[in-house]
Amino acid sequence: MKQKGFTFEKLKFASFDFTCCEGCQLQLANRESTLPDFLGLLDIRNFREISSERHDDYDIAFVEGSISRSDEVTRLQAIRKQAKILVAFGTCACFGGVNSLKNRFAEGQPAAEVYPGMQVESLPVRKISDVVTVDFSIPGCPVAKEEVERIVVSLVTGSLIALPKYPVCMECKARLNTCLFDLGEICLGPITRAGCDAVCTTGKTACLGCRGPAEDINMPAFLELVKERGLKEEDLREKLAFHNAFEAVAANET
Amino acid sequence: MIYKVISKHEFRKFIDALVRSNTSFGPRRVDTDSNAEPVYQFQPVTSVEDVAFDYSVTKSSAKHFFLPFREELSRFDIRDGEWEQKINYNSDPVVVIGLRACDISALNILDDVLLNGHFPSPYYLARRKNTFVIGFDHLPMADCFCKSMNHHTVPTGFNLFCSDIGEDYYLAINSSKAFNFLKEFETREPEYEDNCRLVERRKEVSNGFKTHIDVTGLPAILDIEFDSPVWEKWGAKCLNCGTCAMVCPTCYCYSVDDSFDTDMKGASRQKRLYSCNLVDFAVVAGGHNFRPKNGDRLKYRYYHQHRGFAENANQQICVGCNRCGRACLAGINPKDVINDLRMEKESCMKCVSSSPDKR
Amino acid sequence: MHEVRFVIPRQEINREDFASSAPDFNRRSEVMNTDRGFKCSITNIVRLTGQEKLFQLRIIDPTERSLFRFKPGQFLMLELPGYGEVPISISSSNSNHEFLELCIRKAGHVTTALFTIEEGAQVAIRGPFGSSFPMDEMAGSNVLLIAGGLGIAPLRAPLFWINEHRDRFGDVNVLYGAKVPSQLLFTYQFDEWKMINHINLHTIVERAEEGWTGRTGMITDLFEDISIDMKKTWAIVCGPPVMFKVVCSHLDRLGMPMNRMFVSLERRMHCGMGKCCRCMVGSTFTCVDGPVFDYWSVMNLKEAI
Repeated sequence: MKQKGFTFEKLKFASFDFTCCEGCQLQLANRESTLPDFLGLLDIRNFREISSERHDDYDIAFVEGSISRSDEVTRLQAIRKQAKILVAFGTCACFGGVNSLKNRFAEGQPAAEVYPGMQVESLPVRKISDVVTVDFSIPGCPVAKEEVERIVVSLVTGSLIALPKYPVCMECKARLNTCLFDLGEICLGPITRAGCDAVCTTGKTACLGCRGPAEDINMPAFLELVKERGLKEEDLREKLAFHNAFEAVAANET
Repeated sequence: MIYKVISKHEFRKFIDALVRSNTSFGPRRVDTDSNAEPVYQFQPVTSVEDVAFDYSVTKSSAKHFFLPFREELSRFDIRDGEWEQKINYNSDPVVVIGLRACDISALNILDDVLLNGHFPSPYYLARRKNTFVIGFDHLPMADCFCKSMNHHTVPTGFNLFCSDIGEDYYLAINSSKAFNFLKEFETREPEYEDNCRLVERRKEVSNGFKTHIDVTGLPAILDIEFDSPVWEKWGAKCLNCGTCAMVCPTCYCYSVDDSFDTDMKGASRQKRLYSCNLVDFAVVAGGHNFRPKNGDRLKYRYYHQHRGFAENANQQICVGCNRCGRACLAGINPKDVINDLRMEKESCMKCVSSSPDKR
Repeated sequence: MHEVRFVIPRQEINREDFASSAPDFNRRSEVMNTDRGFKCSITNIVRLTGQEKLFQLRIIDPTERSLFRFKPGQFLMLELPGYGEVPISISSSNSNHEFLELCIRKAGHVTTALFTIEEGAQVAIRGPFGSSFPMDEMAGSNVLLIAGGLGIAPLRAPLFWINEHRDRFGDVNVLYGAKVPSQLLFTYQFDEWKMINHINLHTIVERAEEGWTGRTGMITDLFEDISIDMKKTWAIVCGPPVMFKVVCSHLDRLGMPMNRMFVSLERRMHCGMGKCCRCMVGSTFTCVDGPVFDYWSVMNLKEAI
């Protein structure tokens, strides 16, 4: 790959998973029309969804999932040591994700219920940046392949990577959707970072904020909106907590 | 302009023939909101049955047929280390049915801004020339204020404009294309009675406005009230979501970004409609934000809409459709903001009544 | 329902027709070039400091090269395909029709990419855009050029103009300040300006470094060094907003009329043509009405500084 004045090299790439469904990694193998081109940008050193080869000489590591066992901590620290760039990949890695719902229960209670009579180690769920330094985050449950492609291209070409700073409403309006608030639902679209092309709201499903807060959001105004529309505060709290993505914002508000 | 009268039945046949042979868009019912009110949008139509002739108002304007939300400005083909820029601004013909007078006024304003300056936009021109616009008049909604902006009637900017005069439509034909198409259908010259019915209809429309905004001297007020606490008050409510600009028929501000194709054999420069309410609208390289506060950004939207910019001969570009007011989740609407500003100014000048931000 | 079929014919827009129907392009009636860039090859790159480089560009097509004319103070949009576009003021002499020079600081993602390219790379430029310094009106008077930091970049074009028409101007003073001595740009040209062009160059830095024997302090301190008749002097001030605010109010106190002080504003820009509205200051476009404004207009613009 060469453009006059530039040389681009393939990324020495690895992808790892922790506590998660591996759905985000599967997204990497999605979008078949550009898949060969996409894989052409990567020198895959370690990625169990795609290749059986295992090498430890990667530069860029995508890490999916949250951290819920002590052996995961050790493994993650080893990855951090090797990788020049560590990317938190997917909502679980960026915010803790659905897994963090477990943190609401007493320690050990969920494990005892799911695996009765078995010894299962299970720590409170943490996001990747709670354990090691994260260079870049790609949120989404699952991640948007198109965005991932753009980011990988940016990594190859050395351009700066930036997620949209504005909320989902921008993309939702561009798809001429009816606002879910007008249909009497709470939707986190106005405070959630865009980049998903409003997939959920286009399918008439309220946004649950998997991509985390947009930049500089106006939380008091959003709470006021929910109250003013006579919508249930409990429902709002459920939605905000769903992916654990608004933890920081909610803590500031109360 | 040529005027004709056509029966509603015959007009439906005309519309059907038109939409069956062209890519067409018209108002369609897409949802029912929680107040059991129908929700309309301009959507693709393939037969006359799809067109909601009795629609109230669409949530989003028809702007995106002329200024798409996302549009490729140019492509770069990269080969052997060199590149070639390719630009294609030509577009295919479309028919857009059911625009209101204010929507067509909005197009006329966009023509002014995008085609008359030093740098006319070929992209917009191509779409404007290739769009067949059919307008409908309507009785104003309770919150329409286009009469205040003097945009409740429109003299030009459409191919065909239909006024509902009971059993018939009174047609204003403004293009030879429309005239030729209509030759195939049964129309008649307007008679004295039709003219009376048209005048009646216009009166009915004109008298139907319930919302009035006093916009006299508004540009001057906006200049004087640049540092008004009113902006902070409304800014505090603003969610920075950009919805107002997206549904607006005249908001045309945009953002341009470049990206490589995944195969690295090309790059694309794309334009995206943007909103001045978004956080990073005025951020420059290095990170300095010229408008860091909600209120500053909201103010700019009103500044642009109601004061106008030099490139647009300082004309107000708001047409009074109130789509922004209806769509705003935070309840920010031009009527209240402008009334607040006016009160603020009057309270300052007389030093009698209290300022609205102290309420 | 009805057998008649009407297909609306597609109307092609012809670039040439469009150009002839349009008003003049940037106040000149040459080729319309609003969206297509002139392809340039980068012929030379000089590393000025760790943060600034001077790029020399040559428009590849000879016809395009001969059409490209600009005035001191104007800017262009520099496109790096795939990376993006940035507004850059032209730092070279407008009598140099062969090459263009752009002094670029590594600030955003496009400029960061520009810092990795090598000579021979191809970029595109659109423009020139915007207003310029009124060099003709200044003729016959003294000129005071004041630059802070990277502000020397837009000042270079008027400085070249003055050097080339030195006999038209009276005293020419350049006051140039930077944070530290190593951030002073174009030091290699200082002697040429002083000796050959008889320009009084005064430099100052906020913080001295080893080997610095010059002055230390704020740019306004340099006014102590010069004595000029403010009533017969025009000023061009370039630098960060804080700096030109301080400098211009100082000049105002010294008795210079505000409409003889010129500044160059910086804003986010995406089109350069007054269409994207990103660069609005008050009701004015920085890209069309600016970037060069007299200080009187700046004072009348809301939010300018």
